[in-house]
Amino acid sequence: MQVLFKVIRQNSNKSPWVQTYTIDVNPSSTILDCLNRIKWEQDGSLAFRKNCRNTICGSCSMRINGRSALACKENVAQELARLAAITEQRAEQTPGNFPAVEVPQPEPQSLPLPEITVAPMGNMPVLKDLVVDMAKFWGNLQAVEPYISTAARAIPEREFLQTPVERAKLDQTGNCILCGACYSECNAVEVSSEFVGPHALAKAYRTVVDSRDDATESRLEKSNQGIAGVWGCTRCFNCNTVCPMEVAPLDQINRMKGEILERQTETASRSVRHRKVMIDLVKQGGWIDERRFGLRVVGNNFRDLRGVLSLIPLGLRMLQRGKFPETFEPSPGTQEVRSLIESVQLLESASPSSMTETVSKSPTSFKAEPYDQLQPKFGWTPYAELTNGRFAMIGFVALLIQELLTRQDFFTWLGLW
Amino acid sequence: MSASLTYAYFPGCVAQGACRELHLSTHELTQALGIKLVELKKASCCGSGTFKEDSWLLEDTVNARNIALAEQLNLPLLTHCSTCQGVIGRVDERLKEFHNSNPAYVQQVNHLLEQQGCSPYQGSTEVKHLLWALVSDYGLAEIQKRVTHKLSGLRCASFYGCYLLRAQKMLAFDDPYQPESMENLFRAIAATPVYYGGRAQCCGWPLSSYATTESFKMAGARIKDAIAAGADCLVTPCPLCHLNLDSRQPEVEKVIGEKLGLPVLHLPQLVALALGISPKKLGLDLHVVSTHPVLEKLGL
Repeated sequence: MQVLFKVIRQNSNKSPWVQTYTIDVNPSSTILDCLNRIKWEQDGSLAFRKNCRNTICGSCSMRINGRSALACKENVAQELARLAAITEQRAEQTPGNFPAVEVPQPEPQSLPLPEITVAPMGNMPVLKDLVVDMAKFWGNLQAVEPYISTAARAIPEREFLQTPVERAKLDQTGNCILCGACYSECNAVEVSSEFVGPHALAKAYRTVVDSRDDATESRLEKSNQGIAGVWGCTRCFNCNTVCPMEVAPLDQINRMKGEILERQTETASRSVRHRKVMIDLVKQGGWIDERRFGLRVVGNNFRDLRGVLSLIPLGLRMLQRGKFPETFEPSPGTQEVRSLIESVQLLESASPSSMTETVSKSPTSFKAEPYDQLQPKFGWTPYAELTNGRFAMIGFVALLIQELLTRQDFFTWLGLW
Repeated sequence: MSASLTYAYFPGCVAQGACRELHLSTHELTQALGIKLVELKKASCCGSGTFKEDSWLLEDTVNARNIALAEQLNLPLLTHCSTCQGVIGRVDERLKEFHNSNPAYVQQVNHLLEQQGCSPYQGSTEVKHLLWALVSDYGLAEIQKRVTHKLSGLRCASFYGCYLLRAQKMLAFDDPYQPESMENLFRAIAATPVYYGGRAQCCGWPLSSYATTESFKMAGARIKDAIAAGADCLVTPCPLCHLNLDSRQPEVEKVIGEKLGLPVLHLPQLVALALGISPKKLGLDLHVVSTHPVLEKLGL
């Protein structure tokens, strides 16, 4: 069949352009077969990486019809079927009673040939055409020390032994062929130069669960730092969706977060607090009381004054627009949910984590106390927190009234700017 | 469309807190369409994807309870939040898979539920988003019949939210990168869909509590992208995306150093406008970024 290939071509720093090639191919041909044909028969200058042709080496990843994939794994028929399904959904579900509205087509005057669009991977600078500079990708992998540590271990006389159960823990992450598809689509990589990327974190988790490795704690600590490690992930699911080897990097990142959360308390960092406070608030009210969530997570119960201050503009803005949640209604199912969560926590503390070694768990720093059972107590208790929260609300309202009366914002009124 | 559609309505946290206008507009819209919602009063937060980070069993058990509440009513669970749909929908999908491949796990979840006096999870219902219910159960042609105020000329840019597109493996409704259901809905109410690169990507909300710069850079990139494509507004089926794109848009503007001012509507607000429901009833005055330009364009 005749297929029109639209290839996004580029010479390093120059602007990209679209070049089209028409080839006659068998529908079962892979995209890589087609690119090879183009290169060999039509245009020797077209640049792309390739090697094994068998989904083993990970060289030929590129963006095929809008998402990163291996050119040797996807074939023409599947790609055209995917595009046809999208077009059909658009056509079928759009009722036709209204006058025609603008439906963007790839090209209004396009040829009747089926089209496949191929572009270079994202999040990496283009060297030429479909070849990207993967230096940072490899550097980030190196940064997680993706090798089994041997420093502190006596080398056995013969090979290291692993039970089948221990080995099975490495199967999923071990399938990674470092093709870069996940990194290419990662939304966190897009905005953070620090974040090491899903490929590196999946590999880091592989070493964490490897029974032969003895650097678990330092690895977890490294992944816990700032947003370079697991907390930089924004859970966009792109890595899980595009991975051609079903490594599910996001799932591995989640598992690593679990290992870290087991070892950390609420005060450790805002990212850790975010997770712990979520569970605690659900135990207390079924739903999340967003006001308390903000004050506890960002304000660290008024210990982080800069954090508390950072909430003020948001709070004022929401008050001004009538968006601020002035009340909170706990779910009538709170008691049930609380005991359910506690029973899961009890069960999990009895048999901690999926890891081979037993790790002493950090003591949990707080215990949920229902609203109706709060008693006056000193220290960082739910009672004190509720009282603080109420005072904060009075403060917010006072600020708003002051701003309304003076027609100036608080800091201008103070003469600070 | 079946004679009367009834769903077990899962409101979620944000629609009861910082985005009450979503709760309002869902009620207004469903009432106008004759869709009956039975609110799951005893439900609880789905965890927005973070319970799993602590423990998969925790996420599965808490959400199996939420699903079981709908099963007790013999109704499909309906949410108007992409994140709630993705989280609860994926738990439903996992537990349905495990019925065959890992029945011991489902038994463990049900044992925990029964210990606490909760109904067991059966895997007998579905977890739907309002968008899917409108497009697939109610039908676009039926919605179109009820349109009294065509949104002609309004250029709407969809913002789906990651969970709605990619959290589920097998039961996905749209293509994860080229979704069409929102755009089809826009066309059904005579609005013009605007296609742009960021519509299937992340808004940055999950990072907003501790990596604000990165989170707002992400939100800024999406909003700029939509503006460049000529959008009059963003429309989202996810209140968490709404929080980052609307409530925090002034901070987003500071981070990227550009003025944006793009209104962000909740999906039911947009559809309800086409059915002639007043903007006030839909809480369109409860937005941080004024929705006035949209209403003005529609002559409302």
